[in-house]
Amino acid sequence: MTTSVHEDVTLSRRGHSRRRFLHHVGAASLAAGTLSFRDVLSLQAAELRKRGKSMILLWMQGAPSQFETFDPKPGTPEGGETRAIKTNVPGIEIAHDWTETAKVMDHVSLIRSMTNKEGNHQRASYQLHTGYVPSGSVKHPSLQANVAQQIADPTSDLPSVVSVGGGRRGGSAGAGFLGVDYEPFTVDQPGRLPANVKNPVRTDRFSGRRDLLGKLESEYATRGAADLVADSKKIYGKAADLVLSPEVKAFDISSESDNLQERYGDTDFGRGCLLARRLVETGVTCVEVRHGNWDTHFDNFERTAELNGVVDPAMATLVTDLSDRGLLDDTLVVWIGEFGRTPRINGRGGRDHFPRCFNAALAGCGVKGGQVVGSSTKNGSDVADRPVTVPDLFHSICHALDVDVNHENMSPLGRPMKIVEGGSVVEELFA
Amino acid sequence: MTRFRPAVRLLTLTILAAATTVGVKAAEPDSAEVAAKVDRAIHEGLLEAGVGVAPPTNDEDFLRRVALDLAGRIPTPDQVLAFTASDDPAKRVKVVERLLDSDEYARNWSRYWRDVIFSRATNQRARLVQPRFEQWMTEQLRENTSWDLVATELLTANGDVRENGRVALMYAHDGDASEIAAETSRIFLGIQLSCANCHDHPYDPWKREQFHQLAAYFPRVRVRPVVEDGRPRSFEVISFDRAVGGNRGRSFDFAQAAPLLVRRYDKNGDRKLSQDEMQGSPLQRLADRLFDRLDTDGDELVSVEELQAYEPPVNIAERTRTEHLMPNLENPAQPGTRIDPAFFVSTEAAARELSDADRRLVLAQQITEPENVWFARAYVNRMWAELVGEGFYAPVDDMGPNRSASFPAALDALSDGFTDSGYDVKWLFRTITRTEAYQRSLRTPEPGQTLPFASAVPSRLRADQVYDSLVQALGVQELTAGRPGGDRMMAYRGVAGPRAQFTQLFGFDPSADKSDVIGDVPQALFLMNSDFVNRAIRTNAPTRLGTLLYQYQDNAKAVEQLYLITLARKPTEKELRICLDHVESREHRGEAYEDLMWSLLNSTEFVSRR
Repeated sequence: MTTSVHEDVTLSRRGHSRRRFLHHVGAASLAAGTLSFRDVLSLQAAELRKRGKSMILLWMQGAPSQFETFDPKPGTPEGGETRAIKTNVPGIEIAHDWTETAKVMDHVSLIRSMTNKEGNHQRASYQLHTGYVPSGSVKHPSLQANVAQQIADPTSDLPSVVSVGGGRRGGSAGAGFLGVDYEPFTVDQPGRLPANVKNPVRTDRFSGRRDLLGKLESEYATRGAADLVADSKKIYGKAADLVLSPEVKAFDISSESDNLQERYGDTDFGRGCLLARRLVETGVTCVEVRHGNWDTHFDNFERTAELNGVVDPAMATLVTDLSDRGLLDDTLVVWIGEFGRTPRINGRGGRDHFPRCFNAALAGCGVKGGQVVGSSTKNGSDVADRPVTVPDLFHSICHALDVDVNHENMSPLGRPMKIVEGGSVVEELFA
Repeated sequence: MTRFRPAVRLLTLTILAAATTVGVKAAEPDSAEVAAKVDRAIHEGLLEAGVGVAPPTNDEDFLRRVALDLAGRIPTPDQVLAFTASDDPAKRVKVVERLLDSDEYARNWSRYWRDVIFSRATNQRARLVQPRFEQWMTEQLRENTSWDLVATELLTANGDVRENGRVALMYAHDGDASEIAAETSRIFLGIQLSCANCHDHPYDPWKREQFHQLAAYFPRVRVRPVVEDGRPRSFEVISFDRAVGGNRGRSFDFAQAAPLLVRRYDKNGDRKLSQDEMQGSPLQRLADRLFDRLDTDGDELVSVEELQAYEPPVNIAERTRTEHLMPNLENPAQPGTRIDPAFFVSTEAAARELSDADRRLVLAQQITEPENVWFARAYVNRMWAELVGEGFYAPVDDMGPNRSASFPAALDALSDGFTDSGYDVKWLFRTITRTEAYQRSLRTPEPGQTLPFASAVPSRLRADQVYDSLVQALGVQELTAGRPGGDRMMAYRGVAGPRAQFTQLFGFDPSADKSDVIGDVPQALFLMNSDFVNRAIRTNAPTRLGTLLYQYQDNAKAVEQLYLITLARKPTEKELRICLDHVESREHRGEAYEDLMWSLLNSTEFVSRR
């Protein structure tokens, strides 16, 4: 059933305009007393949303060093000064800064054999967000947008995709050709209400203004702008829902205990992770929390120590907090950056770009914790065992979230595009 | 063996390019005649299909439409009143001329092209060149530089991205040959060729090889950092013609340089270079690695002839590659097949071994010559869609060749006229705005109406148009005015200036199908709730609205003025009644008007073109 609606679209070579499509099918099916496009999508989404799955992406912007995070190589020239520490899972050791995450390793599955070819930040970030390499001719939807389209609750007051930190459309791909419904809602300063969500006038006056706007709009609609007015009404409805919704409280973390806030850390990333938990708890499907800059071409060891000090407590607390609240079973946490860093330590004490072998960490939503998938060679220069590609990772994420990777959306040029092209599920993650 | 002399060829081409433009310009086609021809073609088509056309638009709507289209902002109340009061039968043509002469026209369309190029940028540092591009493009529009010359400049430019705006297209794709090829085709020809990057085009007859032949015009384009005092300061687009010795990145022609090099570095007078003699010369690195390949006769010395005969191996390493390789899809690890430039529209293949400058100039020439109908057609279709709201082809940058245009005779008439005008940018604006098709009024589409152009179609304004209209309606200089801290709206990282931040929030790709551009929640939140908008409409402060209420004590007059300020028209009777009812129902006159202005600024009409 997932593809049927879209097959209709393929029939029309020029059927790439969403509105035009709505017109055709909408009018025809309404006349026939059948469901509209939107209704079908809503039904589908509601059906899947019952399972209430969601994803939190911890995006390590700039590409984190695998040696200083989850694949330390102490005692080798490549490993540098980074030591390895034990975790609460016998046999799994991670870099010495990650003391808090070491305590939740039983929830976490590490992938030490991520491999890719793209070593340019922008292109790799795009690829790790969309599953596709960038192309001028089509803006691919992010995986989050695709996931939201499949499983988000369309009746929710809150946006289905939220991005925390990094600016509007900051580096990550947005909804691409899936359109405004799945465009990430950006939070610049985690912990506070997002920009312009706070209503500057009394609630009754706000409603009065909206009534007045509605009346005045009807004139323009009857003059021939009915479609535009209808779209605008939909968007203003969503915006007003957000403004007036008690759920918007989810964006404000001040009601959380001081103790918990401290454990997440007094940092934007810490507050972002706490916000992410509150949002998925309230029904948001995909949250991305971004932290950087991991691009440590200089002074790798000093700088990663600082970054680790921010990310480790926040990530560990997020996993514990989700688990304590029974949310971890339905929430997938993914930690990753655009690629890894070179085994060779350069003349400035830094590490350069290295997509050939890097790390990802996953927790929750059916992922079996306390294990390592794949391995790197002794000095980290290559994958030794079980290479995992970007499509493999995306397959696995979709598998955890019950999203059909073969679902096809029409690109604006009329080319059907699967959510994930190629690759297969990393079965070990779910064993 | 005859070698190609780049400098000579370059000169010839420059003269050629100049000649075609100047030559054609003499006989400018008559705008009114072409407009009439376009209208006849459309009219006949609509008549045949039994679709009635909407009546001509009234003066208010025409003025707002044409002011937004050409100058990028709504007209002022005075302009609206003067225009509607005038009984000059030529007033519409005259106002178009006035607008085309304004600086606002040049800035407006410069921003449009900025959005066209940068919305698809694959280099996310592309923003660095935007200010310079805008500046350069504004100058071209002000000077009315013909479109073929603009295209040629964009395709052939080199330079520092902080100094030379012409490098916009090259830099937007970080010098990547395939991306530049795809965008060149999309922007200048209206042909989407990039599917053919990996396979033959699914709908059109383009073959994969033809895409790579187009990419083969660009393999020598490089973007590299400009380093000053050990720190990267900027980026520059350069030609990378030969990878030789220590001469990294500079263009280097063996054939030309060989005699000079041998004379300069030959120490013992045998007119040949030994490996020792090459030490310290630009050939040193090459000699260290590939001396045996240079020394074809094995005498341990390299002669001028041997140097000239040397064919550098096709480099596999991307950094030093100077020829385009079509990837081997069966085996991506293989370097791929070398492809030479050829332009898919014409059958004439470009010569091999051209320098970067020549390749790009040859392509610019092939693209802009009048025989290539796609060049004019792509521009005309794009401008028509932007002005009329619907294109002959949709999307504007995907024309075929196996797509059919609506009203092809109308498109041909405009394209021929545009070509005959010498690709005169203002001529096309003049002609399109003169057509009845442009000047029709809005109406609800007739049931079953599938043909375009029977009536005006409302469409969303571009970010800069909204910004300029908002600033004008509110009577402020910039969106930051009177906004002491606290409003996070404008705090997006990495962009400077209120306009840049606003366009970040309201921007969209202008090549997108207009019916797909509908705004989003953060935009709505900005107009609804931002401190900026709400402060600027306060009536207990010397805002424009506050002043207006003081000037117009009579409510009907005040409402009329408010409509003129925000929507550039007078209210209808029904609207006036709704507004007056609202004012009467509120205790506080000021609050009532704040609500009114809020509603008008948040209306669909304010952010759209009617």
